[in-house]
Amino acid sequence: MLVPLHGFLQGDTLGLLVLVHDHDHVRAIASTLQRAASVRVAPVDRASVFAFGRKLDPDATVAEAGLRALDRVDVIPEGVA
Amino acid sequence: MYRRTRLCKPERLDSSRGLLRLAIEPGRRSDEFVPLSTSMHFRDVWVIRVVHPNSVRTCKLASKGSQRRRCTMTMLDREEWFDLARKLDWNPTYVDEAELFPVEVSGRPWLPGSAWRDWDEPYRTSYAEYVHDQHAKEGAIHVLREAIGRPEDVQRLNPAWRSAIKLHAATLPLAEFAAVVGNLRAARFARDSAWRTTASIGALDELRHTQIPLLVNHDWVAWDPQFDWTHRFLHTEDWVAIAARHFVDEMLLVSDPIEFAIATNFVFETGFTNLQFIALASVARGIGDRLFERMVENIQTDEARHAQIGIPVLKTVLAHDRERAQYLVDKWFWRSWQFFAVVTGFAMDYLTPIESRGRSFAEFVKEWIVDQFQRAIDAIGLRRPWCWDLFLASIETYHHMVYASAYSHRATVWFDLVLPGPLERAWLARKYPRTWNMFDPIWLRVAERWRTSGPGLEWYAHGTTPVGFCDLCQLVLCGGTPLVNSAQTFAHEGQNYMFCSEPCRWIFEHEPQRYSKHRGVVRRILAGEAPANLLELLRYFGLQEDTWGKDVHRGDYPWLVKASYDDREGR
Repeated sequence: MLVPLHGFLQGDTLGLLVLVHDHDHVRAIASTLQRAASVRVAPVDRASVFAFGRKLDPDATVAEAGLRALDRVDVIPEGVA
Repeated sequence: MYRRTRLCKPERLDSSRGLLRLAIEPGRRSDEFVPLSTSMHFRDVWVIRVVHPNSVRTCKLASKGSQRRRCTMTMLDREEWFDLARKLDWNPTYVDEAELFPVEVSGRPWLPGSAWRDWDEPYRTSYAEYVHDQHAKEGAIHVLREAIGRPEDVQRLNPAWRSAIKLHAATLPLAEFAAVVGNLRAARFARDSAWRTTASIGALDELRHTQIPLLVNHDWVAWDPQFDWTHRFLHTEDWVAIAARHFVDEMLLVSDPIEFAIATNFVFETGFTNLQFIALASVARGIGDRLFERMVENIQTDEARHAQIGIPVLKTVLAHDRERAQYLVDKWFWRSWQFFAVVTGFAMDYLTPIESRGRSFAEFVKEWIVDQFQRAIDAIGLRRPWCWDLFLASIETYHHMVYASAYSHRATVWFDLVLPGPLERAWLARKYPRTWNMFDPIWLRVAERWRTSGPGLEWYAHGTTPVGFCDLCQLVLCGGTPLVNSAQTFAHEGQNYMFCSEPCRWIFEHEPQRYSKHRGVVRRILAGEAPANLLELLRYFGLQEDTWGKDVHRGDYPWLVKASYDDREGR
C-alpha cells in the first residue's frame, strides 16, 4: 500500500509529498526525498530519518516504523555541518 | 390640538446639502414634536429637507398640543451635518434589535445598540464630495494609462519587474472585489449607522480597486497572456489561488462586519497595505515604472481613509470582550503577514533589478509593521500578537524559503521568476547577515543545474515531486529555516493535518469546524480529484505552456556562462 508522507530534508526550503510503500525500508524514504529535492540540495550517501521525535531504524519497513499517511518525517544528511 | 412651544433659536450654518437642523428646546424630548413637512428627527433635532438649501427658509414644525407654528431655521455647516447625517440610528419597534442585527451576520460579540452609540471615526464625506474627489482620481488614472500604459511602455521595463507587476495584478483586484462584498455586508449589518455609511463608501472604494488594475492590465493581455491572470487567477485551481481564496473568502467574503473591520480595516489595511502601496510604490519609482507607482498611490489614498473604520470597532469590542479582540488581531496579523511576505517580499528582494534596490523587504517591514503596527496596538491597549517573536524571526527567512521553493516549481505559477546571481546574492547577504548563509547554498545548487543543462532547458532546474501544503493557509510548507522547518502536525477526528507553522496550527485548533473540511491540493491529489503528474497538474491549475512560469531569462545569464568558463579554466 502506498503511504504519502510529508518529507523535510534538512537544508531544503519546503516540505515535499513523498510516496513510499508500506513494505519499503525506511532508508528508501531518505533516498526518495533527496532525489525529489536534488534541484536545491545535493544528495549525500548517508542520511538519517526521524519521526515522532526519534531516529528510525533504516532497516525497518515503513509499516514497522509506525508511519501513517501524511505523517511528518525528517531526513538529516550525515556528515553535513 | 397642538400647543405652542418655544424652540431653540436656529443657528446660521453653511451647507449645500438641502438639509436644515432645528434644535429642540433643552429639557424637551424630540418625540413631543410632530413633523409638518418632509423631515426626520434624531436625538434633539429635526432635520427638514428644503428646496433652496442656501437660503434661510421658513419651515413648519409643531409640538403636540400646540397650534402649528412657523419657525425660521438655517443651514448646518459641513461638520455638523456630518455628525447629524451619519448618526441615523433609531429604536426598532416592529422587530427586536437582535432580529434586525442577528448575531450570525452582525457578528460577535453581540452588544446592545447603546454599546455602539459612541462609535466614531474620522472618515467623513458626503456622497457628492466622494464622487467629486474620485472623479478627479479616476481622471488621473486615465491620463496615466493613455500616456504610459501602452504595451510598449511595459515592454521597456525590466522583465523581472514585469513579473512583480503580474504577481501584484493577479492577487489584488479580485480580492478587492471580495472586499466590496464584505463592505456591503457591513453597510447593512454593522451595528452603527455611521459605520454603515462608511462601509457603503468603502464598498465603492473597493470596486474602484478592482476595476483599475483590470482595466490597465487588460491592455497588455494580447502582448503577454500571463497578464490575463489579472482576472483569471482567483477563478483557477492553481495552488496560489487556492491559498488566496482560503484567505480572501474568510476575511472578506464570509466574515461578519466585526471580524471584517478588525481583520481587513485594522490589521490588513492599517498594518500591512502600506508595504505594498507606499513602500513598493517607492521601489517602482526607482525603477521608472511611473504607472505602477501612481496607480497604487491612487488606490492607497482610499485605503488610508476607509481603513479608519477598524479602530473604533476594535475599541468597542475591546471594551466588552478583550479576549475576542485579541484573538482576531492575533489571527489576522499572522495570516496577513504570510500574504504580504509572499507578494511584497518576492517583489522587493528578488524581482526588483539590483541597480534599483535600496532597502530590503525586511527593512521596510521593520519600519511599516514592526514600528507602526506596534504603536497602533499599544495605543489601543492590546498586547502584541502572541506570535510576535515568530513573526520577527520570519522577517528574515519566510519569503526566502517560499521564493526558492517557488523558483524551483515555477511552472506552477503564472509569472516568471529570476535566478539571483552573484551581485544579487551579495546584496542579500548584506541585507540578511544572520540568515542568508542558509540560502546561498541552495542558489549555488540551482545555478549549477542551469550550468549543466545550459539555457532553455527549464525542467532540469525544476522540481517534479508534489509539494506539501499547510492545511490552514494552504501555502507551501516553508516555515522556519532550511535547518529546521517549523511544520507542525495535528490530529483531528482521526485525520492528520499538517501546518507550516505554530500560528497556523493554533488558528486551526481554535476553530477546527471552520477549516477541517477544506480540501487543499494534497487532499485533492490523494482523493483522485487532482492529478499527481506535474504536467497534468499544471493543466489542472489552469496553466498552459504560454502562461506557466519560467526563468525570466530562460537560464541565459552572462554570469552563469562566465562562471562555467572560469570553472573549466580552473580560475
